[in-house]
Amino acid sequence: MPTIAIDAMGGDHAPEEVVKGVAQVSLATDIECVLVGDERRIQEQLEGVSYNPEHIAILHCRDVIGMAENPREAMRRRDASLLVGTRAVAEDRADAFVTAGNTGACILACAKYFPLIRGIRRAALASVYPRHVEYPGQDRFALLLDVGATVRCEAEELVHFAVMGAGYARRISKVASPRVALLNMGSEETKGGETLVAAHRRLRALGGINFVGNVEGNDLVRGRADVIVCEGLVGNIALKLIEGVSEVFTDLASVAAERRLTWRFGLRLLARGIERLRELTDYAQYGGSPILGFERLCIKCHGRSTAQAVANAVKVAAKAVRDRVPAEIAAAVTVVG
Amino acid sequence: MRLGGPRKRTRSARPESPLVCRWDLDKTYLRSEFTTLRQLLRTAFERPEQKVDVPGVAELIRGLKAAAESRGQTALVYFVSASPPQIGKSIRAKLALDGVPYDGIVFKNQLEHLRRGKFRNLREHVGFKLVELLRGHLAAPADTRELCFGDDWESDSLIYSLYADILAGRLAAAPLTAILMRIRVDPLLVAEVIELATRVPARDAVERIFINLERRTPPATFRLFGPRVVPTFNYFQTAVVLAVMGRLRLEDITRIGTVLVERSGYTARRLDNSLDDLVRRGYLALPAAERLAAPLRAAGLLSLPDPRMRWRRILVRLGRWRPRRSEAPPSGALDYDAILARVQPAARHAAATGGTP
Repeated sequence: MPTIAIDAMGGDHAPEEVVKGVAQVSLATDIECVLVGDERRIQEQLEGVSYNPEHIAILHCRDVIGMAENPREAMRRRDASLLVGTRAVAEDRADAFVTAGNTGACILACAKYFPLIRGIRRAALASVYPRHVEYPGQDRFALLLDVGATVRCEAEELVHFAVMGAGYARRISKVASPRVALLNMGSEETKGGETLVAAHRRLRALGGINFVGNVEGNDLVRGRADVIVCEGLVGNIALKLIEGVSEVFTDLASVAAERRLTWRFGLRLLARGIERLRELTDYAQYGGSPILGFERLCIKCHGRSTAQAVANAVKVAAKAVRDRVPAEIAAAVTVVG
Repeated sequence: MRLGGPRKRTRSARPESPLVCRWDLDKTYLRSEFTTLRQLLRTAFERPEQKVDVPGVAELIRGLKAAAESRGQTALVYFVSASPPQIGKSIRAKLALDGVPYDGIVFKNQLEHLRRGKFRNLREHVGFKLVELLRGHLAAPADTRELCFGDDWESDSLIYSLYADILAGRLAAAPLTAILMRIRVDPLLVAEVIELATRVPARDAVERIFINLERRTPPATFRLFGPRVVPTFNYFQTAVVLAVMGRLRLEDITRIGTVLVERSGYTARRLDNSLDDLVRRGYLALPAAERLAAPLRAAGLLSLPDPRMRWRRILVRLGRWRPRRSEAPPSGALDYDAILARVQPAARHAAATGGTP
């Protein structure tokens, strides 16, 4: 069984929600969990919930990196849970790391302790997000990368992201030949400036991946592509936009329900559909974003992660370990050259 | 090897006092499944070889007997079960199959309750169990020490705590009656409990109450029961606490650990984590855990410590520098009002309104 180290102190609702999530995993699976953080605080939370102690170890450390802290400065705090957990994976005491903590510090910690896969120049933070399903059997999640690890990219890095994303989707989503697309401002291959045009040309010429060309912003939530590649700045804005629209929709529905009785009645009739939509857009369902490009695995959860989101992230991490995702990516990169 | 305990038992009776172990059956000894009617019927008609015991429990009972014998003591094992006597034959055969030595077993005559139309009594076990425990205690030698074993499915922690407080003379007839009435125990049984309680000579006989967390109830739930109640997640944990109390030998823990590894798929890491959990919950002092871990590591039951983690272990030790859960029994009876308010919402309501649920 894979051993997953979990940053118990990272995230807006840590350690409560993280510990609860890990407790759920310990009851439902055989995954070995190592909670990294203040032992006393973790134990206090643990004793208040149902858990199976046989699958939970605690790696004690006293320090915590705050969500708003400067990542570069935070890297000096060697006894912070995020760094201790990353080191535990680097030293083979765990197979993967899961954190809902400071994203910047998480990426820097991975870069500091995990070696990059041979041939890869930059890591990418990939986000799994819900999208419209175009045909029966299609995975209801797509992968968008990069969403913030590498703010500006060169064409070659975008090509690497495409290869890494395809490798991850092949293993985790079980899509034999995932459709890979480049996020752009138009579907024509000449659009988007020098970098995107070069990336498009190289991806088109590349064997081994199913490149379907450029997609536009409105295609993000459609089922046209399984893996969508972009630079970190664009990806992060796109991801937050998807999340924001979903949240605004829910808020509008609540406001409408309060304002008029007839609207409330109408919403009541649509309740099942709205619940379905909420489920589909709930980040807690898909449990975190993998940081791809390193020889070791790290899953970055949403800062606001609930217990369910953490539990799903731990399960995704265990699945990625079992399915040997870094090895798959390394093999794909070797083929691409 | 001494793991602690005997020298600390200054409050206990003489070492040769007989040890009585009171066991619940379902979910404590047997892994019975009866959340649905179908499961209940299947359990009733199961053959002995189809019944499944909780991993390590048979070895633990054998270990308790053997450890007592090695000290020139007697350990008596009694089962009190709320199952009907009709399944008694199958249960006895199962115990024989497991090679578990026992000295008595009592079942609840559910048919009698049905016949008398006392349907509530079918599910209410506090009165029945208290009566049987008190009867058993009155029949036992005067200076016995007792250990109680139950689970988190019903009210074992409450029943055993009431029993312990009655034996210790900490619960007078009036508050005991009020508690039993609040739980809606049959008035006839309440009268019987009170009558038996008055005959019991006051002596703090119950050393520990072990609750097998079969349902994985949060351990914090049991804090109200005080340090006498020890919730454990598996019988390896129970064995470790018993060894530290001087009630089991190292070889007994090794045997239980080996059975868990060989027959139930446990790994060294799972046992490591179980041991650590006991230390973190304060039921085991770190030095005792380390004394215990060394031979278990040598036997291959626990994993070897990672040398790279030396400094972190020192840090952890400093972090764990806190008082253990007190071994001293409470000076007064437990706060049963708070306990009932927590375990019984109906009782909570009654307490709030000043009535009887």
